[in-house]
Amino acid sequence: MSGRRVFVSGVGGELGTLVATMLEAEDWVGELVGIDVDPPRRRLIRTTYHRIHPDDHDHIVSTIVDFDPHVLVHVGVWEPNARATPRQAALLTDMAATSIIGAAAECPALEHIVVRSGIEIYGRGAGALTRPTERATTQPTSEWGRTVAEIEQTATRVAERVGVNVGTLRLAPVIGPHVPSPLGRLLRLPAVPFSALTDPAFAVIEDTDAACAIVAAARVGLDRPVNVVASGAITALQASRRGNRLPVPIAGPPWAAARAASYLLGAPIPDHVLETLQRGRLADNSAMKPLLGLVPQSDTRTVIDRLYRWPTVIRQPARAPAA
Amino acid sequence: MSDSMGRVVRLPLATRAGPAGDALARTAASIGSSVARLSEEPRGVVDDWGRDPDLARMMVALTHLRWNVTVGGDQQLPKRKGALICINARPLAQSTVLASFAVSDATDRPVRYVGRPDGGPIGALAQRLGALLAEPEEVAGALANGQLVVMSAAAANGGRRVGTVDRSLIGAAVATRTSVYPAAVVSSPMTRDARVEVGAPSRVRATRRGPLAELELADRVRNDITTMLDELGDIATGTTLDWLPFGVSGGN
Repeated sequence: MSGRRVFVSGVGGELGTLVATMLEAEDWVGELVGIDVDPPRRRLIRTTYHRIHPDDHDHIVSTIVDFDPHVLVHVGVWEPNARATPRQAALLTDMAATSIIGAAAECPALEHIVVRSGIEIYGRGAGALTRPTERATTQPTSEWGRTVAEIEQTATRVAERVGVNVGTLRLAPVIGPHVPSPLGRLLRLPAVPFSALTDPAFAVIEDTDAACAIVAAARVGLDRPVNVVASGAITALQASRRGNRLPVPIAGPPWAAARAASYLLGAPIPDHVLETLQRGRLADNSAMKPLLGLVPQSDTRTVIDRLYRWPTVIRQPARAPAA
Repeated sequence: MSDSMGRVVRLPLATRAGPAGDALARTAASIGSSVARLSEEPRGVVDDWGRDPDLARMMVALTHLRWNVTVGGDQQLPKRKGALICINARPLAQSTVLASFAVSDATDRPVRYVGRPDGGPIGALAQRLGALLAEPEEVAGALANGQLVVMSAAAANGGRRVGTVDRSLIGAAVATRTSVYPAAVVSSPMTRDARVEVGAPSRVRATRRGPLAELELADRVRNDITTMLDELGDIATGTTLDWLPFGVSGGN
């Protein structure tokens, strides 16, 4: 199966760039093409990059149809308050999903679609399972959860119509040195709010482990959803203690003030992160080993410890005034 | 292969055999993974299910102040695989909590118990102690993950009576092909002594393909617990209350 043409959407993001880097090292991958509104974060050797905005529907379609990929890897999604406001994120994600997956359906060579989703799809409503498996009912209760549910539905509908496999990777919150993550930003604040009444557990995944899972899904032809979650769990209080941050107990209405303060400090709390802090977010990851052939290298505790070891941003003044 | 790819352990892939194959693959994966030991649990974090080892240790120590629990038959429990342990219960007696702490101590493994409220401080506290929602899917997930899970029959008053066993929870064990162990819990409110006796796994004679499997197994488990309670007898308080015929001391 060598010489496969692989198309990566969202190749400009940190996760997309990691995926493209890893795909370049795969011997089964032939040509590799990626699109995004931003250029890739690292130098890619074999990947042909096209800079296209998600609303440029015609350009997206012509690029994909001309390339005629065997495998589509769709990681072009915008998490609320990661790089865009929640409203913009939902709009961009919807536009990209419709154009990219729709265009892929017109490609005669298409055999397989891999979609990036999130464990927010399970929702944390009343009676939600503590650690849902992939077979649990999806009842998203946040904007981001509903967005990834729509992407999954779009991909599944298209795959059924054109008769190809679709593999969905439901990622835990992705944390990495360069990944724009609202949860990661919040935990790195000098003072970290946590639910005084519940302080529930959540799990995360490191960016390299998430990228490895996406590449593995493309390689094995995954045809079902898989939770991609690091082992172990942690609570916001425990995380803040590990990072020597000041834990701030919050309960009830003061959460609105905490969100406002966090927004002003540069770490807005979208509803799915608030839900994580108030209701927790765990998922069963035991299907990764049998279906993808890998286990995450870093557990949740290690990922959080690394989060606090990243150097802070050092602002260097310009040597000479620009103008 | 890039450096980052080299950091990931690659393992053989399962054949695609549908949902049943998924469950078996999960069980196989959980058996292959390392078993969590109480003595090796890291401090300062919670485990995969939100159980806080530090808090659990503290609560076990507090429990020892009130109860002196003896556990028997724990050697019958699997060393690495998951198992569902079904106990008898009395109203308002938190027998599942007591039994899960006792079995956890005896086996050096974290033990979950079924029956926590969803939400609120009480639900959060129970989750920190290892409690699961009383949902078959939740219990099936834990069993497939290789966990020891304690559930109770419906609470029954006095004597050696055992309430009905929730067959939907037994169905979780059937679906994941996990053994169900009956266990008798006897205690007395007048003394510190309590006993948890784990029996051999309950079996039914006929092999059923449909829902009769869990129905008959649930009945069998209930009968096995009743038999064990009869064999254990009541716990003596050492007072004249023991002479009363209707078990006023509460031992069952």
